[in-house]
Amino acid sequence: MQAPRRVHVMQGEARVDGGDAVLTTLLGSCVAACIRDAGAGIGGMNHFLLPGDEAHATGRAESYGLFLMELLVNGLLKRGARRHALEAKLFGGANTVDNLGDIGSRNAAFARRFLAMEGIACLGGDLGGGRGRRVEYWPATGRSRRIFIDGRVTLDAPASAMPASTGDLELF
Amino acid sequence: MIFKQHLKVMVVDDHRTSRMVICDALAELGINQITYACDGEDALKTMMATPCHMIISDFNMPKLDGLQLQKAIRTYGPTQRTPFIILSGRGDRELVQKAASLGVNNFLVKPITPPVLKSSIEAVIGRLQ
Repeated sequence: MQAPRRVHVMQGEARVDGGDAVLTTLLGSCVAACIRDAGAGIGGMNHFLLPGDEAHATGRAESYGLFLMELLVNGLLKRGARRHALEAKLFGGANTVDNLGDIGSRNAAFARRFLAMEGIACLGGDLGGGRGRRVEYWPATGRSRRIFIDGRVTLDAPASAMPASTGDLELF
Repeated sequence: MIFKQHLKVMVVDDHRTSRMVICDALAELGINQITYACDGEDALKTMMATPCHMIISDFNMPKLDGLQLQKAIRTYGPTQRTPFIILSGRGDRELVQKAASLGVNNFLVKPITPPVLKSSIEAVIGRLQ
């Protein structure tokens, strides 16, 4: 069997892909939104540092969730995704470093707020906590996997799958 | 001198969240007569029904993007002189030049803040009072 094509999504990026791709990223307080249109068979991932919907937001747009969410959604629509069919999973937003305050929580709250405002279904994911995560997302199927930085691994099946648990591997 | 309470602004963006951010910034500047459109096509329809003094439009939108909307606005008699500010996530030189050649009045790079928006609007239509 051919190995999946791995595409790493850097901080400040949004990537759209499909087919055999697996999108990966490494998150601490940052958030990655994984959004796809199951019918069109394409999806994408972004990786943002700060929310960006606050009045004092300054600096490069690429740091901000508001810009990267727009970039991802518009990228999907241009590739044939239908807005009403979009579904999302959210990852990250950990409060990993004490002196960073609650940036992780603010990022997570923004991501949830954005999906609610734009009417995009949130199927789950994994937000918050105090540990960083490595996230893998298969845009064609919606499957995702996150590996906590301390080594604990949890695995998500496509949204239609039934919950199951196998020791360290948590399927839902 | 422009009396901001009389200024009618149309905000065009396909993302509700972004429209709210821009509208909040406008409200902070005392501009409250705001109409919305969710893409270029919707903006043209809205303008026919509710004329405005100024358009603030995102660039990256489905159907009709910001530049296409600007082109349409500039080629229609009653709206050809309507001030047009375009917003983009990137200060792309090519995009800025293209927008300028189509007659854009100002170009703003996101994220926008009330002070930046204020100076951008004032550069186009004069001091807000």
